[in-house]
Amino acid sequence: MSKRILVVEDQEDLRAILRDLLSTSGYTVIEAVDGADGVAKAASERPDLVLMDIQMPVLDGYDATRQIKALPGLAAIPIIAVSSFAMKGDEEKARASGCDDYVTKPYSPVDLLRRVQRFLREAAQP
Amino acid sequence: MPSEPTVSGDRSVEELKRELAEAREQQAATSEILRVISGSPTDLQRVFTEAAAAAARLCDAYDAGILQVARDHWRIVAHHGPIPIIAQGPPTRGLPTGRAVLDRQTLHVADLQAETDEYPEGSEFAHRLGYRTILCVPLLRAGEAIGVIFIRRTEVRPFTNRQIELLKTFADQAVIAIENARLFEEVQARTRELTQSLEHQTATSEVLGVISRSPTDAQPVFDSIAQSAAQLCGAQHCNVYQFDGRLIHFAATHLVPGMPPQAREANMKQPPIAPGRGNAAARSIAYGTVAEIPDIDADPDYERRDVTRISNLRSTMSVPMLKDGHPIGAIVVSRSEKGRFSERQIKLLQTFADQAVIAIENTRLFNEIAQKSRELEIASQHKSQFVANMSHELRTPLAAMLGYAELLQEGIYGAPPEKFLPILTRIRSNGTHLLGLINTVLDISKIEAGQFKLNLAEYALGSIVETVMVATESLAATKKLAFKTEVATGLPHGLGDEQRLTQVLLNLVGNAIKFTDAGEVRITAGAENGHFALCVSDTGPGIPAEECDRIFEKFRQVDSSNTRAKGGTGLGLAIAREIVEMHGGRIWVESTVGQGSTFRMELPVRAAAAGAT
Repeated sequence: MSKRILVVEDQEDLRAILRDLLSTSGYTVIEAVDGADGVAKAASERPDLVLMDIQMPVLDGYDATRQIKALPGLAAIPIIAVSSFAMKGDEEKARASGCDDYVTKPYSPVDLLRRVQRFLREAAQP
Repeated sequence: MPSEPTVSGDRSVEELKRELAEAREQQAATSEILRVISGSPTDLQRVFTEAAAAAARLCDAYDAGILQVARDHWRIVAHHGPIPIIAQGPPTRGLPTGRAVLDRQTLHVADLQAETDEYPEGSEFAHRLGYRTILCVPLLRAGEAIGVIFIRRTEVRPFTNRQIELLKTFADQAVIAIENARLFEEVQARTRELTQSLEHQTATSEVLGVISRSPTDAQPVFDSIAQSAAQLCGAQHCNVYQFDGRLIHFAATHLVPGMPPQAREANMKQPPIAPGRGNAAARSIAYGTVAEIPDIDADPDYERRDVTRISNLRSTMSVPMLKDGHPIGAIVVSRSEKGRFSERQIKLLQTFADQAVIAIENTRLFNEIAQKSRELEIASQHKSQFVANMSHELRTPLAAMLGYAELLQEGIYGAPPEKFLPILTRIRSNGTHLLGLINTVLDISKIEAGQFKLNLAEYALGSIVETVMVATESLAATKKLAFKTEVATGLPHGLGDEQRLTQVLLNLVGNAIKFTDAGEVRITAGAENGHFALCVSDTGPGIPAEECDRIFEKFRQVDSSNTRAKGGTGLGLAIAREIVEMHGGRIWVESTVGQGSTFRMELPVRAAAAGAT
């Protein structure tokens, strides 16, 4: 059974890129259009990994990450922050809210794919 | 037989003795007068009185007198003897005294009573008063007759030559005394004037000092002016007022010691007054001129008697502060006696008024500039924030474009046709270039907003050089440039922002490759005295000496057709310098036109925490 990845991203284009990239690479992609949607999908779908945009309407990536990590059984789920914030302290904030990795937009999709693969490999190890 | 001294010889000895005694007496008298002159240079009367008495006594005259000519009229200054002196109106030729003055010559008349034709008035006086022989010597100063000294006898007995000479000596002495007194007065007046103007100058320069010490507040200037003005105008009281275009407001006051204690309060509590005739300030502001009230009690329009009465002030004067001819305030001095202020005091107050205007203007301009710079600072922060937001907005679509191009190239959507591949590469490299520009602009706006911070961590300088070489060697190869790196062995680990330092080196090497068309680009790295020494040299066109400092300024490039053709934002080196300086290091360039450039960096191995979090 293929690994399931939740993409939380309000920009349709960026969601589409990740969807194309990840599904082509053999993953099942679940999409959420804002932070609140992301928390709901994480709770209901229980994905293997989350790609989390930071600047989003309704609920931003920091709060969404905190809420997902607080869900029962999801404390250890890898969450990679995908942010276009580039100001000092943004990465620290993302990590403080529970993100396991931090990627700045625009990212290389191939590079991002490698990170996703690494996290899932590590998670698969006993 | 030895010759005996003759009788006539005896007589002549007697005569000599007498003459000697007389000469001694004369000398004693003249030196006595000289002593009086030098002892009390201003006491002319005493000099004249002594001179007249000595003249009468030593010349064996019945009386003696000294007359001065002042404004063309006789003035009797000294008289010794019983005969009255009649001297009225201007000097005339009908009197020996008058003629002596008019002709500036000594006149000796043996029997004035007999000279009815030559001296009609003189002979009449001589008859009436009973004198005969008269000797007149004019008092000459620089060729001008300023008076006359005369001696008279009641019998016809002309004066001897020696007596005439003696009287001339007295005349000279009288002139010396008059000159002395005049000079003395002049010196004293000049000294007073100088002292006063020195005091005024000191006071005005003190006020200037206060102005420069207190650029944001005019109050200390007003206080200083009030105090100096009161003291130097001999006033009991000085007030400074400001005019807002409608009402005149109290601004500062100074009362000299001894004024009633309630005077200050009454003064400070007085309500604002409108321009008009109510008091001196109101008048000088209404008319824009100096307003004097020499007698407050006699002034029917004066309204502020409550204040002046408590302080017992009788006269007052106000000088307006004029800015471009419009009154903006006034300085008012008041005295407890009636009378006017001197021209000099008015001038002094006008100087103070000018200074007060400068102080008010200074304060206004200073506060205006401070306000403007606060506004500018806020505007600049807004701008930086805007640029930061904007660059964020630019990245999002760019991310999508680059992402799709990469997916296409990676064959996510199926293997692309062979000829698409270089085009996709071009799309990606242009997108990456655009991203670089956006990042540069973002860095500058962070620097300007004070948000540019370092992430300090351990790093290896060798790996930074390696990263930069890997990223740029293909560019160098494309231009057929030799690319060399020399990294010293055993370099210590550094503490700093690896990403930012990589950015700096990348910028320097990128520039070197961009501007060099033939030859080589070389990176050398070493360590010395706790500092890394990094160096990027090229064989490019070089940089003129006058540009070597300026290229590190924002938006600055060496201005030549060559560099314009090469493009660039002109921000890279400014950012590089900022990053290096935040690490506590420095960056500079050494170059000779035509012989390439060498950019050098000196970087503390362990960057201080300043500028970092």
